Amino acid sequence: MKITKFTFALLSCAILLSACSSDDDAATEDLSGQTGDLVLKFDNGVGDQDFIFGTEYAKSNNESYKVDNLKYIISNVRLTDDEGNVFEYPTEDNIFIVDEEDGNNAGEIYITLENVDAADYVSVTYGVGVDQERFLLGAEGQGDFLDEASDEGMMWSWASGYKFIRIDGTFTNDTTTDEPLNVHMGSVGTSLDNYRELTLVLPNSARVRTDDTPEIHLKADISKVFDGTTSVNFADGYDQVHTDATETPVIATNIQGMFSVDHVHND
Amino acid sequence: MMTVTVTMLSCSDSSTLASYEAIPLEVNVPSNFPDLQYNLDNNPVTEAGFELGKSLFYEGKLSSNNAIACAFCHEQAFAFTHHGHNLSHGVNGGVGFRNAQPIQNMGFQTSYMWDGSASHLDLQPIIPLTSDVEMGETLSNVISKLEQDTYYQEQFTRAFEDGEVSTENMLKALSQFMVMMVSGDSKYDKYVRQEDNVSLSQIEMDGLATFNNKCTSCHATDLFTDQSFRNNGLPVNPQLDDKGRFNILEDPSDLYKFKVPSLRNIGVTYPYMHDGRFATLEVVLDFYDTGMVDNGNVDSTFSRPDGTLGIDLSTYEKESIIAFLHTLTDTQFLEDERFSEF
Repeated sequence: MKITKFTFALLSCAILLSACSSDDDAATEDLSGQTGDLVLKFDNGVGDQDFIFGTEYAKSNNESYKVDNLKYIISNVRLTDDEGNVFEYPTEDNIFIVDEEDGNNAGEIYITLENVDAADYVSVTYGVGVDQERFLLGAEGQGDFLDEASDEGMMWSWASGYKFIRIDGTFTNDTTTDEPLNVHMGSVGTSLDNYRELTLVLPNSARVRTDDTPEIHLKADISKVFDGTTSVNFADGYDQVHTDATETPVIATNIQGMFSVDHVHND
Repeated sequence: MMTVTVTMLSCSDSSTLASYEAIPLEVNVPSNFPDLQYNLDNNPVTEAGFELGKSLFYEGKLSSNNAIACAFCHEQAFAFTHHGHNLSHGVNGGVGFRNAQPIQNMGFQTSYMWDGSASHLDLQPIIPLTSDVEMGETLSNVISKLEQDTYYQEQFTRAFEDGEVSTENMLKALSQFMVMMVSGDSKYDKYVRQEDNVSLSQIEMDGLATFNNKCTSCHATDLFTDQSFRNNGLPVNPQLDDKGRFNILEDPSDLYKFKVPSLRNIGVTYPYMHDGRFATLEVVLDFYDTGMVDNGNVDSTFSRPDGTLGIDLSTYEKESIIAFLHTLTDTQFLEDERFSEF
């Protein structure tokens, strides 16, 4: 095992060295004006299992749940390179709905960022939901996102706000079986701000060039929605989470902690 | 002859004739009003944008059956309320839960709807537009209907730099129309601004004095609302069981709270209260005098020293307050052709 690791490390060095010795010497490479694409791959799971619609997952407190609809909003994606420069995707396009239903056969949902400044990125930052600044713009600069969010069922029809996450399904516990489970967490105008940001350090840098499109493979552990920073029980009312001022910040903070970077592909 | 030529021209090649026209319109802020809340920098009002917003306001295509325009429940003559309806009906015979509120001075408000469920004017129309019991549509479907209409193709081009028939532009146009709808030329306004030598009669003056003494802790400023949410001790209607702002944050201290309404044009916006239960102002004032009930969370401003709830009002005080309230009727606004369908 040790040897394998060592060999791999050597091999990596060799690759790095060969990369350095060819045309990509970071010290001399002029990246100014160069842009490329970067892909964020969202992969939903539950603990160590893949997330699959209709599958029953156990949680704390002897409760379980099945989900048939899973979506969340990602916004304000920023990338920090090895020199500390921050690239921020243009605000108007910097909001996305990650919908499990859009996943490929491996259950991965792709968000492709275009015209990203060429650099070696070492961390990614984003928010879950819609921040206050964006919300206060009203319709300004929302482009097609209002339609998209509305069509995807990510807006309330009884309040003008976005659902940051939407989990629909059923739950079972000691007292009930297959009762409706609906987590529609969001902010409430300016009176309740549930937008949360997170920064994930990449295990290896994501190298964006005109001809190189790195993929950052992100895992979202859906079990953490209910058993994250705080464990919550369906029996205590967390089977229906909408705009409640007590419940929604707990869910928002749990979701903030559900993401991790699994690996980065550089091609 | 000119008209004929222009019409023919626009028929033959309409889309190429229209272009962006950035002719600004100024939002009138009466000197006795508080500051405008709406950020015009993000959505400056133009003539073409205002016209577009007006067309959309009166446009049935915004609803699923192509018949229910915004104006269906918001009629100008009644300060854009639903004349005589306690609750309003929408597509497919759906009936709403609350009384349609007036559309006036929207740019000065910090929140919208009886429970404050909308906090930005641009996003408010999404609620009625997508509600099953109101207009029952989706944003994208409305846009696809408007895209097929040559008038809208042209008018969006005139109104917005990018010229797109889009949700963003539709909502901005509706806001442009609504922020222009300022009602600030009632007899009362002219009196406080000392315009045209307008004076109030004795009973109106007496009413104003009583009002200032007993009502302005909630109906504050010349908007006649402090924009807060309060529980005014209405008996709960078990059929509707409307918990008001509680439904949003599920905060027990919000039980049965509704937004303090503006009283402008109150003389024409009957029926009253969030569910339209009172048909006359007399009944409203009788309620505040003797009808309030302790539903568990009544605003402390209504507590009398003896522990009962209400505002003591003599018969003459009620009469004079009502006389004063009628001075808030702004005929100029109610008949303003800029806001009229035809």
